[in-house]
Amino acid sequence: MSAPSSVLEVPVLEVRGIAKRYGATVALSDVSFVLNPGEVCGLLGENGAGKSTLVKALSGVVVPDAGELFLGGAAYRPRDRNEARRQGVATAFQELSLVTTLSVAVNLFLPDPAVNRAGLVAWRRLEQEAARVLAAHGIGDIDPAIPVGELPLGQRQRLEIVRAMFRRPRLLLLDEPTAALSDREWLFDLVGNTVAGGTAVLYISHKLDEIRRLCRRCVILRNGRKVLDRTVADMSDDEIFRNMAGRSVVERFVAAPSAVRPEAAPALRASHLLGEGVEDISFAVMPGEILGVAGLEGHGQSRLFKSLVGLHPLRGGRLELAGVTRTLRPARSPRAARAAGLVLVPEERKSEAIFNDLTTIANISLPMIERASSLHFLNRRRERALVERVIEDVDLPGHFLPLGIAALSGGNQQKAVLARALVARARCLLLFDPTRGVDVGAKQSIYRMMRAFVRDGGAILFYSTELDELVHLCDRCLVLYRNRVAGELQGAALSQELLLSLAAGQATRDAPGLAGPVAGPV
Amino acid sequence: MSALFERLRVAGGPAIAVVLYVLLFLVYASREASAFSVFGITNLLNDTVVLAVATAGLTLVVLAGEFDLSGIGVIAIANVVVATTSTGSAGWIGALVAVLAIGAVVGLLNGWLVAGLGLQSLAATIGTMIACEGVALMILAAPGGEVADVIANGLTGDIGGVLPVAAVIIAGVLVLWFLFARTRAGIGIYAVGSDENAARLSGVNARRTKLVAFVLSGMAYGLAGYLLSAETGSGDPRASNTFLLFMYAAVAIGGTSLMGGRGGVLGSVFGAGILTVMQKMLFALGAASFYTNVFSGMIMLIAIFVGNISTFLPRLQRRRAA
Repeated sequence: MSAPSSVLEVPVLEVRGIAKRYGATVALSDVSFVLNPGEVCGLLGENGAGKSTLVKALSGVVVPDAGELFLGGAAYRPRDRNEARRQGVATAFQELSLVTTLSVAVNLFLPDPAVNRAGLVAWRRLEQEAARVLAAHGIGDIDPAIPVGELPLGQRQRLEIVRAMFRRPRLLLLDEPTAALSDREWLFDLVGNTVAGGTAVLYISHKLDEIRRLCRRCVILRNGRKVLDRTVADMSDDEIFRNMAGRSVVERFVAAPSAVRPEAAPALRASHLLGEGVEDISFAVMPGEILGVAGLEGHGQSRLFKSLVGLHPLRGGRLELAGVTRTLRPARSPRAARAAGLVLVPEERKSEAIFNDLTTIANISLPMIERASSLHFLNRRRERALVERVIEDVDLPGHFLPLGIAALSGGNQQKAVLARALVARARCLLLFDPTRGVDVGAKQSIYRMMRAFVRDGGAILFYSTELDELVHLCDRCLVLYRNRVAGELQGAALSQELLLSLAAGQATRDAPGLAGPVAGPV
Repeated sequence: MSALFERLRVAGGPAIAVVLYVLLFLVYASREASAFSVFGITNLLNDTVVLAVATAGLTLVVLAGEFDLSGIGVIAIANVVVATTSTGSAGWIGALVAVLAIGAVVGLLNGWLVAGLGLQSLAATIGTMIACEGVALMILAAPGGEVADVIANGLTGDIGGVLPVAAVIIAGVLVLWFLFARTRAGIGIYAVGSDENAARLSGVNARRTKLVAFVLSGMAYGLAGYLLSAETGSGDPRASNTFLLFMYAAVAIGGTSLMGGRGGVLGSVFGAGILTVMQKMLFALGAASFYTNVFSGMIMLIAIFVGNISTFLPRLQRRRAA
């Protein structure tokens, strides 16, 4: 191989055909791209598109299954964080990698704070050094001696960024660096300084204006694959959002007439819900309606769903369930909510929904087990009859019932979880991303079950990370941004592009085709 | 001033343990005339030092976010090894080297099981504890043996009639701790125990850190067994059987979080001191022995409760101010 004629021609990073799967889920598949010195490249994609996995692979946190990485032309196979760091790859993680009980100064210099000749860390010198580093990055208001846990989130994010930046890495990965940042200009200036020194930056963000501001080029991932690698200026916002959202060929949606019963009382009405991470949220779901909820990761959707069944404390607001004349002060427990006909299908199937060591039938019948018992002894035949009524609705084959649920595929497990919600005779289902990690066939079954449920007069609040599901299944869709309802879309305005731009905090409320945010009780 | 306060608080603030210790000691001293004499203090510290050293070791593993029940097994082995070898040609130095090595090996085994193989530390160290107790019985099946006089007398006496040897040992352990807490490994233990994932993402080698914690704690148990031999003057493979819960109680009373990442050895040493002085106090008050346990339990609950208040209060105040 001939030597490169100029140093500048050697890319800082070359990614060749990298792939990573977790069990049955493909997180990354055959992703290749190149980063040049002094370049800021944007990395875009929806939730679950594989951005975080790519960052982790480059940072040495996960080892890819296939493909090769080259750093400055040399093969790069980091087995842990430290190896990546030593080779000049620094990362500001989205989830922040600061140890909250240690001081700012110690965190800044982890894992190898400067020591004196006796091998001891000199606190005072370390703190002075930390203050100097922070000041050099425009931070004068953080005391290096206090524990990180006492800093507000925005300050922690700044610290995380400075920690990745101050050692002048060859490659800097910034994963959603502005999620908790109020002063974005501060970051933009720093990124400018960093690339001036020849560092290459991979900038992961949902926010298009930041990408336009900082990046000349951007790479878009969808379902773990690279779908686009182009100059940002050549593309319109629409084009970028369309590429991010995409539409996979295999998933088809059968159009169905809306089953909304507008004359009835709302099945679930939330007024001015207020709590930590829930900012004044109001909405109403009618019987027969599927009300969608869209939002990028961490914009309050998880807390909203949990607060509706009492798993997340609320400070204020009212929750009313139709058919039940009494007004629930935000339900105090999932059990109370269930008794009132409100059932949550939670986010984490493995840890929150299934009982891994029980049989499938026991998993389904659990909430209604008294009804299948006489004198507190379980009657197997009655249990079976109770369960068989609902497994048809979710297309769960009966021969799975006696098996341990751990032996089932993710899709069938999810069907069992939904069957459990049906067995409890829910009137209003709260489905939190029910199709995550399930196969295409199971997705279709879940869609059918949802349609049948609302046709019979039920109501569904439906959060999904897959925007096409929201567009095709929902009658209306709320979009959450920064823990608030940023807007509500319905009819022709309910499109993936608009959902995504609203969820990214882009579109303004008075954009054409947009209903304003629902204010007050409907 | 406030920075100093912050640092004290972050360092684990064994202040409550110190206050409790002083209170209990004063009650004890009011009934026991010899409490303030060199003889009385030597006596008290001799009763404290074994638990204090063992607890200091346990604290390292607890700070790293793991459990370690193997301590009493190591103490048992060390005790019978000293009782069977210290009068031989290797002498007191040979026995000391032997018990430290034994502790290090058991710690290495624990560390390998937990950090290397990823086993749950509670289960793994129950296994090594039982195995160690078995080994101790193999070496010395029944109480007996003989501890060299140089150990039995040298470690339980005083220096020049003013300074108890046990005080020197405890001070030595504390000095070693304060030095260790300022090394990278010491900081790593806090980081890993506080948030293993964040520590790992920050580049801390979590496995090696835990291994270091287990090995150092094993050596401390070995030393504790050596000191126990000096106190009792003989070997007894079951002498340490009652220690385990007291070790954990001392760690908790001293303000170290059993979840890891918060606390320190200074608090644990005072925790061990509290458990010891309390027994003396109750004895001096003439309380029946079964009250001791009731009292120990109550002291532990008070210490944990007060300890939690002191970590919650500043947070509450800040929230109100915000």
